[in-house]
Amino acid sequence: MTTKRGLITDSFKVAKKSKKREKQEKSPTPTPSQQDAATAEEEMRKLKQFDLDWRFGPCTGISRLQRWERAKSHGLDPPEEIRELLLETPAYPEYSLSLWSDYPF
Amino acid sequence: MFSDLSAQRDGSSLLRRPASEEQGPVFERSPPDYSLCTARYSVGERSFSRQYAHIYAARLMEMRPLLSDKAKHKWGPDVRIRKLCDLETGEQCCIVGTLFKRMDLQPSILKEISEEHNLLPQPARTKYITEADELVLEDELQRIKLEGKIDRDKCVTGSVIAIYGAEKNDGKFTVEDFCTAGLPSQTPRPALSSDKFVLLASGLGLGSSRADSMLGLQLLVDMVTGQLGDEGEQGGAATISRVLLAGNLLSQSTQDKDASTKPKYLTKKTQAGTVDAIRLLDEMLLQLVASVPVDVMPGQYDPTNYTLPQQPLHRCMFPLSSAYPTLQLVSNPYGATIDGVRFLGTSGQNVCDIRKYSSMESHLEILEETLGLRHLAPTAPDTLGCYPFYHRDPFILEECPHVYFSGNAPAFGSKLVAGSDGQEVLLVTVPDFSSTQTACLVNLRTLQCEPVSFSAFSADEDEESEMNISH
Repeated sequence: MTTKRGLITDSFKVAKKSKKREKQEKSPTPTPSQQDAATAEEEMRKLKQFDLDWRFGPCTGISRLQRWERAKSHGLDPPEEIRELLLETPAYPEYSLSLWSDYPF
Repeated sequence: MFSDLSAQRDGSSLLRRPASEEQGPVFERSPPDYSLCTARYSVGERSFSRQYAHIYAARLMEMRPLLSDKAKHKWGPDVRIRKLCDLETGEQCCIVGTLFKRMDLQPSILKEISEEHNLLPQPARTKYITEADELVLEDELQRIKLEGKIDRDKCVTGSVIAIYGAEKNDGKFTVEDFCTAGLPSQTPRPALSSDKFVLLASGLGLGSSRADSMLGLQLLVDMVTGQLGDEGEQGGAATISRVLLAGNLLSQSTQDKDASTKPKYLTKKTQAGTVDAIRLLDEMLLQLVASVPVDVMPGQYDPTNYTLPQQPLHRCMFPLSSAYPTLQLVSNPYGATIDGVRFLGTSGQNVCDIRKYSSMESHLEILEETLGLRHLAPTAPDTLGCYPFYHRDPFILEECPHVYFSGNAPAFGSKLVAGSDGQEVLLVTVPDFSSTQTACLVNLRTLQCEPVSFSAFSADEDEESEMNISH
């Protein structure tokens, strides 16, 4: 009894179950999620590419959209595609903030 | 100046019977056509989680096209404008970039922390330049050391310039010539039918231990409000259509460091030195705003934010005078159009800072230099506190002012500068009132400026002890 109580898995049962459920739900429909993942990866790649373009100035500390608009207002022709992407995608920090947003400076 | 007016009349109106038993003559002060242009100096959101790289990037982005045009104008349309990364050794070309001056004496907090040898803190100096300083030009990606025909001591960090020359084998760039952005375009100023004046004063220094500046200040207030001199001078005072106080309304001595160093239980009941000084200022402003529109800019020692652009002082500090619509509390780089004449200026921090980090001595010369660089405060954010802007650099001059001033100078100075495209700019260094007892009057019609001195019974200068307005 005592050993069973001590197990970490006991206290996190719910979380584990829900994860399993997700996996179970995902497993029967592999093709659309894989496609989603592929496009998301492609989008992410473009955004990171935009972050790394030195012509548009430093990217830390400001959002991607702010950086895009600064470049636009200084006549640097940032790719329109990036702006559309940023406006379409949900406001998750991995989309709206730059590549280095997790690193404190 | 107003004495001339009174001299023209037949005799003084003081030493004779009043003309009638009723009220004396009334001198109407006509309010100027006024619009404030300080929107670019207001800081909306205050996020300090950014690095200063943005402001330099935005500055270079904005200045690059301007300087490329200037370079083509100066060195011919087919001059090669290169980025530093495309630079080839020995090739004559032009580079646009931001200057950086590496200075050994520049105070650095990192140096003080890292050198753990119990070093004494570096003494405060008046100049931080040495012979060992090096000039470096930076663009977006790289930097290169400069030598040749460029005055190292005169240049300051942060100014964006275009240089012409070639890179030598040792990796240094030999400058043959350089150019700055020059004056921006100017909207012509309308012709005024009559003389109108704007009074500029700075460094009132209220709350200082020395009270001898108070008489001069009271004389200034009385002169502006028309309570001084005879009818001629009162009529002259009515042509002062606006008063502009350019910073340091409070004295440096109100900023005692006691409150932060002493324990709390000792300072609990003491009042901050600024409280009395602000009350005094409020009472003085009350006399002014009842008669004339007043713009109040904050300065280095005033109770507002320290970093440029300084935001306007809060209305709640002036319970008496803020009831008047004529009191206008404005930001520190200040821009306004008064009767079609564009004013732009600061309380002097930018000029004082450049003075410390360059060989230039005169405030007037520095003022002219910043106008040529098309930038109000090139040394911000390097040695001058500044808000971390990211979208644009508000200190770049977009439009050429007609009157370009800086406050808290050691002495009065003015100069009319003509630009290459017919611009006409009056440079004014507004003297510190508490030490010089001098304010200055700018004539909006002729764009001339003259000092007004209120030396009251000064012990050392007998000639100027006449209590009235002298030139």
